[in-house]
Amino acid sequence: MEMVNRYVYAVTQRLPQSQREDIAIELRGLIEDMLEERVGDGGNNTDKMVEEVLMELGSPRTMAHKYRGSKSYLIGPELYESFILVLKIVLISVGITLVGAFAIKTVINPVEILDHFIEFIVSTVTAIPQALGWVTLGFALGEYYGGFKAGDLKLDKNWMPSMLPPIPHPKKTIKRSEPIIAIVFYVILMGMFGFSSNYFGIFRFSDGEFVGVIPFLNEAKFPEYMPFLLLLLALFIVKECLKLISGKWTMKLVVCTTVVNLVALMVVYFMITSQSFWNPHFMEGLMNAGIVEQGTEGYEIMETIWKNVTGATVIIFIVALLWDIVDGMIKVRKK
Amino acid sequence: MNEQEHIDKLMLELRRGTITIGVLSQLSSPQYGYSLVTLLDEKGIHVEPGTLYPLLRRLEKQGLLDSSWDTNEARPRKYYVLSETGKSVYEQLCVEWQSIVSSLNDLILNKGDDVNGDG
Repeated sequence: MEMVNRYVYAVTQRLPQSQREDIAIELRGLIEDMLEERVGDGGNNTDKMVEEVLMELGSPRTMAHKYRGSKSYLIGPELYESFILVLKIVLISVGITLVGAFAIKTVINPVEILDHFIEFIVSTVTAIPQALGWVTLGFALGEYYGGFKAGDLKLDKNWMPSMLPPIPHPKKTIKRSEPIIAIVFYVILMGMFGFSSNYFGIFRFSDGEFVGVIPFLNEAKFPEYMPFLLLLLALFIVKECLKLISGKWTMKLVVCTTVVNLVALMVVYFMITSQSFWNPHFMEGLMNAGIVEQGTEGYEIMETIWKNVTGATVIIFIVALLWDIVDGMIKVRKK
Repeated sequence: MNEQEHIDKLMLELRRGTITIGVLSQLSSPQYGYSLVTLLDEKGIHVEPGTLYPLLRRLEKQGLLDSSWDTNEARPRKYYVLSETGKSVYEQLCVEWQSIVSSLNDLILNKGDDVNGDG
């Protein structure tokens, strides 16, 4: 009987808690019934017989699988395509970020290439499973709570040929490559700001050797800004995802783009016009590095540029984000 | 894949649907799992218990079967019987089955007569 207990345990272990007891009783009954039939044919209830019966029932894994029914997958066919697409984008972005970081560090400091390479390997081993895990978790939750799936199936049931959307005008379509490139770019930016914002500045070289960076940003205050910056980039990524899903310019998409861009504009404006965003010692840094000398023409030019950098950045942002909206608007109106 | 494997695979798909009808047909009176295996076996329908037991639970969950535990015997047994929904579903399935059988028989038995179709 020990073998039977083990079998029942092995099956029920693989089933949801709520069904275990019921199925255990049922299985035990079944095995006893099958044994009884064999004894009836002439013979004793031997270990060999028990083994035969269990062989007939098949492995506990298969048995449990049959009890669980068809839904033994994490991400079903409805979500699979978008899962693979998002996964590819994320992994490519992570890959580029890692290789990029390695390349930049090596250029800056070629002597320690071995250390950089080890760091690269270590971060690859940790970052890729993380990216994979988060994407999978997101989709698995989507699958589990099944919001998308129920909706999609319903749509398919009531499907009629008249519901086929018109083929979008070639000018209205959004090439898949555009949002994908944008997402990759934002992920790289996130990586840059998140892990190496101190490299964001002017690189100083002396005799061809890297000696330091004169940072553009205020390193002491930057951690306060970073969450906003990362959220902003995340918002941009959501925007690009919407473009990717939509595949064509629609009024809805333009409205979403507008909202995201306006929010972004406000955040960027408040952030970079505040006193503490930029490095207050930038000019001093330039002087100390011997790049410019006080009182010379070069110094004045640099100072003018540095003082106007905020205004210029705001204007560049406004133009770029407005163009994003106007471009969409024009494309929607095209017939 | 050789010929026999193709046949096995196709037969598996073919049986899957017919087993449900077979099971429903025998449940106008209550049966427990193993008695149903024997009953179907006697009538030439072979079902593995490992297939039948989960199937019974699934049909119960879908509301086609009602179940009750009988604890009076030496070992507790779960008896299944057609529910009201189950009865009407079974009747409609029978009609569908008959129509499939006659259509397919038509196709198989008259395959030479109608080569050019009706167009």
